[in-house]
Amino acid sequence: MHEIALVKNIFTTIEDNFTGKMQQVRGIHVQVGLLSNVQPILLQNAFAAVQATLPNYSAATLQVQVMPILIECTNCNNVSEITKYIFVCNTCNKPCKNIIQGQELRITKVEFEALK
Amino acid sequence: MHTLTPKSNRAPVGAVQCENTTLNLLKANDFVAKAIREKLPHVLVINICSSPGSGKTTLLQHTAMHIANSLKMAVLVGDPETERDAIRMREVGINALQIVTGGMCHIEAQMVLQALDHIDLTGVDVLFIENVGNLVCPAAFDLGEDYRVTILACTEGDDKPKKYPRMFLTSELLLVSKADLLPYVPFSIDAVTKDATEVNATIEVLTIASINGQGMQQWCDWLIKKVQQKKQQIATTSML
Repeated sequence: MHEIALVKNIFTTIEDNFTGKMQQVRGIHVQVGLLSNVQPILLQNAFAAVQATLPNYSAATLQVQVMPILIECTNCNNVSEITKYIFVCNTCNKPCKNIIQGQELRITKVEFEALK
Repeated sequence: MHTLTPKSNRAPVGAVQCENTTLNLLKANDFVAKAIREKLPHVLVINICSSPGSGKTTLLQHTAMHIANSLKMAVLVGDPETERDAIRMREVGINALQIVTGGMCHIEAQMVLQALDHIDLTGVDVLFIENVGNLVCPAAFDLGEDYRVTILACTEGDDKPKKYPRMFLTSELLLVSKADLLPYVPFSIDAVTKDATEVNATIEVLTIASINGQGMQQWCDWLIKKVQQKKQQIATTSML
């Protein structure tokens, strides 16, 4: 979907949280859940496009980690991976919407070049 | 888990410091959505989502005629361009305001918050936000709504819940619209209900045809019940 807008959010979020360190940013690690409707390859392309307009970030790279969908059953407490969008516990077969992973859209780590 | 190699092969130079974080990329939207909920404690807010042409505006026109005596409604309607939908709704007397997204594929909470300054919600029981026609992007954006209602026209096919899982996962009600055309299209209510409940076990499914009134009573009863529940909730909280 709107990957360009998301990438702009990545840069503004970093600027809000690490003000003044933009030129030192190197690796940006993000997690995208399979339910976030974000395509990693499009995110990489959008990153390159937005980065071209932001000289402060010319040395930054984006690492995208795709997070599978996990549910924790409210009946038997077992964790199941959801592969075909059938939200059912693999252990007890009860329908379940208690999603504990797969909706992520977040920055998990930012690497900076150390100042000499 | 799959980690994609970055397209760029520029290696970070020098010693690297790490900052581990959990920065939510939709934090700004979620913050504004919360502000909308706090701003409208007495109004039931419904986010209506669907593909283009499935009958969102037509449903709201007929809903207004059907519930005029029991509920006061208002509509914020989003489209990439034109005021056409707001005009259609005003033609049947609905208090409607157009949000022109300027090409954007979804409404964001900030657009709703700004629009709230330009619409009179005095005495309004239910505010509908008619989203941009799209089953993908609107699913990711909380607009401060109480309920999300997805419309699927039977002409679109009964295979959509699995194809667009996030929209059906985040909706409380599925309205199968254009039910007057069911005899002419290969669409199974049972199949779509099965597909939708596999994605979302608690989703309710209603069948409607705005233009001949089929199912309108059940839909309006659902609305009236949700308005009453919200008002009771407010009454209970204010008594505490």
